[in-house]
Amino acid sequence: MIARFFLAGFDRRVALALIAVLAIGTVVPLLNLMLPASHVLHVPDYMVALIGKYLTFALLALSVDLVWGYCGILSLGHGAFFALGGYAMGMHLMREIGPRGVYGHPVLPDFMVFLNWKELPWYWHGFDQFWFAALMVVLAPGLLAFALGWFAFRSRVTGVYLSIITQAMTFALMLAFFRNDMGFGGNNGLTDFKDLLGFNLQAATTRAGLLAASSLALALGLLLASAIVGSRLGKVLVALRDAEGRARFLGYPVERYKLFVFTISAAMAGVAGALYVPQVGIINPGEFSPANSIEAVIWVALGGRGTLVGPLIGAGLVNYLKTYLTAAMPDAWLFALGGLFILVTLALPRGVLGLFDRDARRPRTAAVDPIPKAAE
Amino acid sequence: MSPKRSDMRMPYPRRILGQLLLWISLCLSGQAIADAASLDQAIRRLGQGGFDGTEKAIGELLASGDPRVVPILEALAAGSLQVRKADGAIFIARQEGGEARLIDPLTGEVAGAASPGTMERVRMNNRLRRVIEAARGALTLRSPDPAIRRQAADALFRRADPDARVALEAALAAEKDPAIARRMREALAVLTLAGAAEEAARLEAVAVLARRGDRESLAILAPLAARGEGELSRAAEAARQAIEHELRLWEIGQNVWYGVSLGSVLLLAAIGLAITFGVMGVINMAHGEMVMIGAYTTFVVQEVIRAHMPGLSDYSLAAALPLAFAVSGLLGIAVERGIIRYLYGRPLETLLATWGLSLVLQQAIRSAFGPTNKEVANPSWMSGAFEVGHLAITWNRLWIVLFALSLFALLMTLLRRSAFGLQMRAVTQNRAMAGSMGIRTPMVDALTFGLGSGIAGIAGVALSQIDNVSPNLGQGYIIDSFMVVVFGGVGNLWGTLVGALTLGIVNKMVEPHAGAVLGKIMVLVFIILFIQKRPRGLFALKGRAFET
Amino acid sequence: MGFSISLASRRLRQRLGAGLFGAALAGSAALAPAAMAQDTIKVGILHSLSGTMAISETTLKDVMLMLIEEQNRKGGVLGKKLEAVVVDPASNWPLFAEKARELIQKDKVAAVFGCWTSVSRKSVLPVFEELNNILFYPVQYEGEESSRNVFYTGAAPNQQAIPAVDYLRENEGVQRWVLAGTDYVYPRTTNKILETYLKSKGVKDEDILINYTPFGHADWQSIVAQIKRFGAAGKKTAVVSTINGDANVPFYKELANQGINAKDIPVVAFSVGEEELAGIDTKPLVGHLAAWNYFMSIDSPENADFIKKWQAFTKNAKRVTNDPMEAHYIGFNMWVKAVEKAGTTNPDAVIDALIGVAVPNLSGSYSAMMPNHHITKPVLIGEVQANGQFDIVWQTAGLVVGDEWSDYLPDSKNLIADWRKPLACGNFNVATGKCGGKD
Repeated sequence: MIARFFLAGFDRRVALALIAVLAIGTVVPLLNLMLPASHVLHVPDYMVALIGKYLTFALLALSVDLVWGYCGILSLGHGAFFALGGYAMGMHLMREIGPRGVYGHPVLPDFMVFLNWKELPWYWHGFDQFWFAALMVVLAPGLLAFALGWFAFRSRVTGVYLSIITQAMTFALMLAFFRNDMGFGGNNGLTDFKDLLGFNLQAATTRAGLLAASSLALALGLLLASAIVGSRLGKVLVALRDAEGRARFLGYPVERYKLFVFTISAAMAGVAGALYVPQVGIINPGEFSPANSIEAVIWVALGGRGTLVGPLIGAGLVNYLKTYLTAAMPDAWLFALGGLFILVTLALPRGVLGLFDRDARRPRTAAVDPIPKAAE
Repeated sequence: MSPKRSDMRMPYPRRILGQLLLWISLCLSGQAIADAASLDQAIRRLGQGGFDGTEKAIGELLASGDPRVVPILEALAAGSLQVRKADGAIFIARQEGGEARLIDPLTGEVAGAASPGTMERVRMNNRLRRVIEAARGALTLRSPDPAIRRQAADALFRRADPDARVALEAALAAEKDPAIARRMREALAVLTLAGAAEEAARLEAVAVLARRGDRESLAILAPLAARGEGELSRAAEAARQAIEHELRLWEIGQNVWYGVSLGSVLLLAAIGLAITFGVMGVINMAHGEMVMIGAYTTFVVQEVIRAHMPGLSDYSLAAALPLAFAVSGLLGIAVERGIIRYLYGRPLETLLATWGLSLVLQQAIRSAFGPTNKEVANPSWMSGAFEVGHLAITWNRLWIVLFALSLFALLMTLLRRSAFGLQMRAVTQNRAMAGSMGIRTPMVDALTFGLGSGIAGIAGVALSQIDNVSPNLGQGYIIDSFMVVVFGGVGNLWGTLVGALTLGIVNKMVEPHAGAVLGKIMVLVFIILFIQKRPRGLFALKGRAFET
Repeated sequence: MGFSISLASRRLRQRLGAGLFGAALAGSAALAPAAMAQDTIKVGILHSLSGTMAISETTLKDVMLMLIEEQNRKGGVLGKKLEAVVVDPASNWPLFAEKARELIQKDKVAAVFGCWTSVSRKSVLPVFEELNNILFYPVQYEGEESSRNVFYTGAAPNQQAIPAVDYLRENEGVQRWVLAGTDYVYPRTTNKILETYLKSKGVKDEDILINYTPFGHADWQSIVAQIKRFGAAGKKTAVVSTINGDANVPFYKELANQGINAKDIPVVAFSVGEEELAGIDTKPLVGHLAAWNYFMSIDSPENADFIKKWQAFTKNAKRVTNDPMEAHYIGFNMWVKAVEKAGTTNPDAVIDALIGVAVPNLSGSYSAMMPNHHITKPVLIGEVQANGQFDIVWQTAGLVVGDEWSDYLPDSKNLIADWRKPLACGNFNVATGKCGGKD
């Protein structure tokens, strides 16, 4: 039963992507750990951290694609779910430091000590347990998405209005987390982590393990997404993406479908954030910035919206280019990246993945115009 | 220079000042009574012993009662008093060509020229500036210029000096202007309350201050009221309560004004977007950059005018307006023809393309002008503030409010009354139909996008007056602009107007209670909740908007 | 070339007494040059060239390029040319960590000069400690940190904030204080330190107003009005501003328009320098203050020479210089000197060699690297002039040692940093005798 559910949406392309993701997750750590640094095929440490980061971004892109590509919800706030997952993990990592902080306080993180906090705020309790933090990684973004979706979908907020309230949400969260009074470290965020589950975060083995974990998470996410898309549920989603009113008239409880996918997608983004934080070593309110969420949408658009595999390619490609160009042409990389965005939009209307579609059918991404057309 | 420690005593010159004033108000003619040698010594000491030494020397100069010290103090305040490093002699320096011409401070005669590096300016700080201002304030109570007399009275109100009483009373007796006379009476009232006058006079002074009714009066009355007993204290308490009550009302008005002013800034930023996004449906992420380019155009115009026609500096904004409109507008048309027109029917992808465009434009400006802020000066008619009752209104904000509203009115007229406006509405409502009626839809599209971008450029001219002119300028406004347009109702210009003003006023009413950060968060939460209530914004389009 | 120390706390003086130079100068002469034969020595430059911080950081990249070019003209270091490796972390804090790792592991740089914001430094700090490299951090900051791998050439709070407040109390008779800042860790910590300090000087609670605003705050009407109200209570009032970069221009414009005059309510700022003023018409701001360790208007031959070179390098006769630029000037020269002393670019040797190195600063004295990895600097107070420059109205008699752990915060007053062996600890608790952060 379950196997059938998971394999329903499986096509050749997803299978290939799955294999590629898992291959990265096994080969890269091996090449990094087993081969000597002088070997041609050796993957240097900084590459491991980079690839691990790309994998978490790919998972974020996948979660955006699930709601945007298949459900027609253009979320400009998925960065918020990503960041919340990241903060949940970051809080655990802070608690793990314990008395090894610079002030040697047994419980309080350093930033609380030097801002004169006397005791741990209530919402920091429980994060010393990994299982609790892991639960919050999924629950915090999931609940937020559920609450927002519950109200918004029932009020039939759609299209660009929905996009803007998700943007308002992430913007408000950014400002809130910037406040030092919130107890999340303000602008500096959470940083200087020591270890996770007893593994030293600065060790090459831990980093290789995190990369493997990220690839596993991405593979599972891909599996889950393709299962959802391939199921009956997925068909309904596409129906309400393309004609929400008709789907509603046919008796489908549109809100519930949307709410389900939106919540799942947010939790997925949360997991991506949780894996991102130990690999880059910092989480701060900048992750909530609306520009980050827009960027995630751009990865999806660039790779190919509504294709599951496209977003992975988009996220990998854009971020690799960013890494490469910021070092290769630090003064002019924005020209290259911005130019690429314009070019892809004009030349590849169905994203990079569209290049590989031989059939000239109408794009699967049959765009729905969310904007009411009318003059003032 | 070594650190100077001075105790908090009343500055010496202040005590001397009263005697000088008395002396001047008796109108003795400008006969030098001071010993010329000692005066010369005092002038010399202006440049010795750091700030404390200068302050003491100013006191001695004032004490000499010699009118010739006035221009010396003026020069000191203006920073043109210099010490010759070689012998410590003091001169007034006047820059002429490449070298400084030295003028003897006492005789006013040219004493030679100085080559660079041989002179040192007599240093000033805020304390010395205050001392000189107080002296100047008292000296100018009888100035023929009413503005200067008013300043003088205000200066005395703020820095009550018992020794200035006689001069003040004399000036009040001679004062013809009732407004200035009132200010002088208020200054006298402060003196009365500070001194040991009899009860009746002090009660009278409390009444004068109660009529003035501002924060400064409050600060003077509060300690009197706090004494708690006696008729004077009761009167002060009553006055204090009345003033506080009135000021609270004024404060609400002040916050509304701040809100209107913030709202008009939001309106300016959003109004171009209301056309490109609201009317045309392009998710225009490069809108902020169009605003920024308008601001940079202003900068360039100012630089050119400053270099070639310095006399016209005050009018540079007027020249910048059409130019900014043209630059941003033409750029907008080029963008529409080059990129956007291939994307009609795929509005979401305009997000991707315009985001790329905004990155390119930011970097282009950064490469061309450098990453640092550019200075755009406020013209004199946009500087300063005036008061209406207890409402302080700054000129630049007032102009921006008026400008935003007239821009809005102009745009409405254009859309409602002109042929272009009609065509534009026709194309956006039903492109195919409009095309069959003979409207050249591609041209209308290009012009509409150009109009929206051009208006963004004009907004940039106004925003350059209150914000940084840097490559990041646009980024600061793009999110707010989208919020305003969507909150107001996409496609409805009236919605943008009302939305901008509402958000501005809500923000400024909340801010004093919750602080700036929480205030902004609350506005965002308000938008989220409001959209649940009205899922199509403030001014939803009526009609069959069901499936869009 | 002696330097004197004022305002140093008791334990700093003890620390200095412990034979600063002896220990440091002796170190590492025996270490052989790095085995790897390289044609050039690479120096990493980690400053944002795009995004919100580009406005401040791009200048620092240029200054580093100029210094490296100049050093190469003098023959480089250890007989090798220096090669600058420039990357753009794009004002994105995780990207700072990523780029730092790339610089060290991929480009194999010998040292990195970079960062501006505290969060970017916090982000790269674990990377530098893990990979054992050297970071020179050139910006005034909140203190409360001392890492073996980081050298802090900007001001600690005692090198900027406290002297500025003292100046206002003593010279302007200020009794009422507005502490206005952007809501992030530097203003929070600085204001906490100032609040404790002011209260220790007898300032009452109701005479202190603390106000925080978000980054890039553009609408200052309400807050300036509030300051005006607070200042109308009869006591001499001043504003201590830790408002960050971008928000300053609209803040000062609003101050000028609402008629807040330096004679009535002076504003002393810790983040406003010549570069920031270049974007404002300063005529209405004459008399407002800033506290720094360097001003462009300093009258010294070193400074004149530096300005001349800078303007020639940027081909712009109007380009201004500022305090963080001087910090890089000092830091770079210290690094060169330490590398020459150690005879190698090996980070361990250079880190040891750096302590005790003294190089000329631009105000005509010598700045030295202390065992706590902070440097000695003069503290200057300047008044804004109509031409966008500062007129120095006050300066400390001697140099001030950067105090990494503030004496005015209850949890840090017992901590000291001393990276000389055998202590080699960044947060040694003198009360418990333990080095924190170690099991």
